[in-house]
Amino acid sequence: MRILEAKDLKKVYGTGEYAVHALDGVDLSIEKGEFVAIVGTSGSGKSTLLHMLGGLDLPTKGTVIVDGQELSKLKKEELTIFRRRKIGFVFQNYNLVPVLTVMENITLPIRLDGKQIDETYLQEIICTLGLEKKLNSLPNQLSGGQQQRVAIARALAAKPAIILADEPTGNLDSKTSQDVLSLMKVTSERFSQTIVMITHNEEIAQMADRIIRIEDGKIAIRG
Amino acid sequence: MNNFGIIFGAICLLAAITLVLHSHKKTKKIMDTLDNMLTSAMNGNFHESTFDESRLSALETKFSHYFSSSALSTQNIAAEKDRIKALVGDIAHQTKTPLANLLLYAELLQEEPLSPEAAAYADTLHLQAEKLHFLIDTLLKMSRLENGMITLSPKKSPLSPMLEQVRQQFASKAAEKGLSLSLEQTSVSACFDAKWTSEALCNVVDNAIKYTEKGSITLSVVPYEMFIRIDVADTGTGIMEEEQAKIFSRFYRSEKNAKQDGVGIGLYLAREILKKEGGYIKITSEVGKGSVFSLFLPS
Repeated sequence: MRILEAKDLKKVYGTGEYAVHALDGVDLSIEKGEFVAIVGTSGSGKSTLLHMLGGLDLPTKGTVIVDGQELSKLKKEELTIFRRRKIGFVFQNYNLVPVLTVMENITLPIRLDGKQIDETYLQEIICTLGLEKKLNSLPNQLSGGQQQRVAIARALAAKPAIILADEPTGNLDSKTSQDVLSLMKVTSERFSQTIVMITHNEEIAQMADRIIRIEDGKIAIRG
Repeated sequence: MNNFGIIFGAICLLAAITLVLHSHKKTKKIMDTLDNMLTSAMNGNFHESTFDESRLSALETKFSHYFSSSALSTQNIAAEKDRIKALVGDIAHQTKTPLANLLLYAELLQEEPLSPEAAAYADTLHLQAEKLHFLIDTLLKMSRLENGMITLSPKKSPLSPMLEQVRQQFASKAAEKGLSLSLEQTSVSACFDAKWTSEALCNVVDNAIKYTEKGSITLSVVPYEMFIRIDVADTGTGIMEEEQAKIFSRFYRSEKNAKQDGVGIGLYLAREILKKEGGYIKITSEVGKGSVFSLFLPS
């Protein structure tokens, strides 16, 4: 089942002779349950691509379809709610709410949505990510790796159609990175969770089921 | 006249307010009923509560039909699974004796004084019987694992004994090819099922020996906070990037390895075992330099 599709995606910043083509006609399609890495050097357009896929920014041309819904057809408020329900984000700098405990951070998107919390599922996530003993801590009491684990738990808890991870190990040392990546790999398999991760690091990309390389705003090689 | 107008206006306003409140209440009631219906369906105790000519009653009947048909399909899946289990059991049981006989008589035949041509046939016969034995064995293991007939029971224990046992098991096979098989000492513990993890590791080591012509195979362990990694590094032919994801799929054989014996199932089984233990397997490889298979287990 196809869960994410991008067709002829273009993004141009600026106009006329100052125009920068950050994305220059990208087509891709991702199946449910896949763990895909998008690799490229800085300036290749990979972050722009991730922002388009997650509906954080609008493309100049082309379409993005997530779980059967074309993002450009949604109104601004609809898009916000769609993102909250269907797309989980994991960022390089964790983006946890500093005044909320680990548990509150994890359940925040569900509570914002006014939905009931699936306790069994939540416990399973917490266990898998090894956060049982940290639930009442505040983010600043945790190490970087632990904070990123909370961010992954938060992304998983809402059972999104897709998780987009932007350099998830960018701020971590190599040893901790390996743990975080392992957890992403294992959760992707255990919960059949579709994950798209962008990175500049070849070795990190090797963790994925499939690698998509991007150069100068275009897809270079498909794995 | 003026008074009448005011009174009329007030009555209209009142009527409008009543109407709005009434419809609001009605919508809320419908939404509540639907919500309750879904909640009870999710908990598996949905039953119809109204039997009249209303649309709600009709909707309840429709719901009820839908749920009973989906319950039926769940039942069918369970029945299907039982049939598979029975078939797997039958194959396992019924092929055992003929296969053992096949192997035995092939061996007896090899001991007879035969012409060189006939001896070669007997050798092939024996080899193919062994291959069949291995294939059925592995397929059965895989099927049992996939259908949940076998459950893994991971326990926290030191890795060293299992690694040492695997090393000893393959020492002679490696020596036959002139390869060195070494194990770096470790005191690390992990959460794993010794029997099945050993099976997965054996498949990986067996492959490493098969695809390495000269040099060495090294087993080592790297601990992390939440995982541990067992590396099996060889100095073999290496695997191209395009092929790396495919080697873990069922019955995949690389074209250039078509001559090697094997059935292309070992790595798939290894991957399934690791997955069941909450871990995974990955490969890093460069053509001409060798490959490293990394088995990740929860620590």
